[in-house]
Amino acid sequence: MEPWVVATSLIFIYLLATIVLGVIANRRMTGDMEDFLLYGRKAGFIVLYLTVVATFHSAFAFLGSGGFFYTHGIGFWAAGTWTCLVGAITYVLGPRIWALGKANGYITPADMLADFYESEAVRVAVAIVSVVFTILYIQVQAQGLGYIINIASGDRISFEIGTLILLVVAAAYLMAGGLRAVYWTDVIQGVWMYVAVWVGAMYLAYELFGGPLQLWAEVRAQRPDLLSLPGPEGFFTPGMWLGMTITLSFGIVFQPHMMIRYYTAVDAKTLKILGAATPIYLMTLYVPAALVGLGGAVAMPGLEVPDRIFPELLFAHAPPILTGVILAGATAAAMSTLDSILHANMSVLTRDVYQRYIAPEREQGHYVWVGRGIVAALLVVGYFLSVRTLDFLVVLVTLSGSGALQLMPAIVGVLFPTRRTLTRVGVLTGLVVGLVTLYVTLVVVPHPFGLHGGIWALLFNTAVTLFVSAVTEPPSDETIERIHGEVERQIYPETSA
Amino acid sequence: MSQERRSHFVPRTTEGRTAVGAFVVLFLLSMPPVTHSVLDRPDVWIGGVPVFFAALFVVYTALIGVLLWAWRKGV
Repeated sequence: MEPWVVATSLIFIYLLATIVLGVIANRRMTGDMEDFLLYGRKAGFIVLYLTVVATFHSAFAFLGSGGFFYTHGIGFWAAGTWTCLVGAITYVLGPRIWALGKANGYITPADMLADFYESEAVRVAVAIVSVVFTILYIQVQAQGLGYIINIASGDRISFEIGTLILLVVAAAYLMAGGLRAVYWTDVIQGVWMYVAVWVGAMYLAYELFGGPLQLWAEVRAQRPDLLSLPGPEGFFTPGMWLGMTITLSFGIVFQPHMMIRYYTAVDAKTLKILGAATPIYLMTLYVPAALVGLGGAVAMPGLEVPDRIFPELLFAHAPPILTGVILAGATAAAMSTLDSILHANMSVLTRDVYQRYIAPEREQGHYVWVGRGIVAALLVVGYFLSVRTLDFLVVLVTLSGSGALQLMPAIVGVLFPTRRTLTRVGVLTGLVVGLVTLYVTLVVVPHPFGLHGGIWALLFNTAVTLFVSAVTEPPSDETIERIHGEVERQIYPETSA
Repeated sequence: MSQERRSHFVPRTTEGRTAVGAFVVLFLLSMPPVTHSVLDRPDVWIGGVPVFFAALFVVYTALIGVLLWAWRKGV
């Protein structure tokens, strides 16, 4: 059987499995909004672990990371720093976010920030940042999916049709089963993508070089420029290393599709072990990616699109069945992030916009159906963004990685009780200054003095937030006591009793 | 009152301070300038892989170890 038939068939079998899971999840639904949007706050460790890691690792980790090693060399091993930091952030912030969500019924990040800062303006600003800076990931993931199915089918299914099929499937199981369907499919996707990357990389290492160590030796002999910093194109400077570490850890954790996951845990202990164990999966996935990228630079040099190195090597050297299984894994990597972003945007638009400002006080089932309608609308928007290339979108994609990072001062102000509290005027002013600085340091003058633009923006944001908060009115004592008191009871129960 | 609440930025237990201190020290070993000077030695290899890759793998594993230790200690 020809490789493209096997590869395409396996991808469609996988898609069918996700639809079946969506239908089963639908039968378990209670019709309650928390059940639809937050898995009823009942996610245990295994489900939460696999959905978090699968969501964090998108099509980029599967395809783009190999391309990064291929182009920029060993410097991309910096990925280990931000994955370990993600674990620490989850360990420290996760239980705090969970406790406040449980105590106050929060569903979105804006719920938490608006409540603490007593400000609808904060709610609107956070909702806008949440949607604007993540909706573009729908485009990125959908484009990745269209590309995967296009190459898997040997160009027989066009990029446009492939994108449409996969977007429709992701939206369908999300609309059917809500976050439960997303979590259950993420369990499959998380396992599949991890096994696929490792098996594919090891197969290629043995097939092409005789083993991983021989692969390293060949890289040393033929491409020593890939084994030192800052890499062949001078990318991994100290400033870029630091910037990527901060923006790809805090910046991703503060995106709504990650923060909402902390609300869904069954208890705070689950989030602590989640934080401790998350980097095991996240970091070790970059080991086979290094083998693929660096080995690919030796075995298949001069590739026009470096991100294609993994599938190109598979099609050239692996048996069809293995290629199919691995490309289905790549599909899983992209879909697990895509469905989570669709869900997060649906939650924000349903909760922070529709329920808050358009139709409050309606029945729970009404909001569930509105959420489904919003997913359908996002499907249309996502498809449009995926098949069109608009200049302003290129700019927004550049900004998106660091956009959610600008919520950091406001979030830390809620989660860490201090003697001097941040204020609504302070965090709003800081957010605006941060976003303007982000535009300047990423688009107008990219990465001034070699330091990542996201870090410049965060520094200006934090300084302005602290200064303005020092001279403006803080939240009421009652609110501070209610929210910081809850955090105190969660983290230090023995001293707050 | 909220003004009397103790800061959460500094751990209050010995285990907490140990975990934070160990994590920060190890994390600094995975950041510049260590990465771009001490570890950037393409001519030095350990166990068949570049020292840069091997040493950072050890540091990353140690960072995960600190998190797991903190979890076991209930920090």
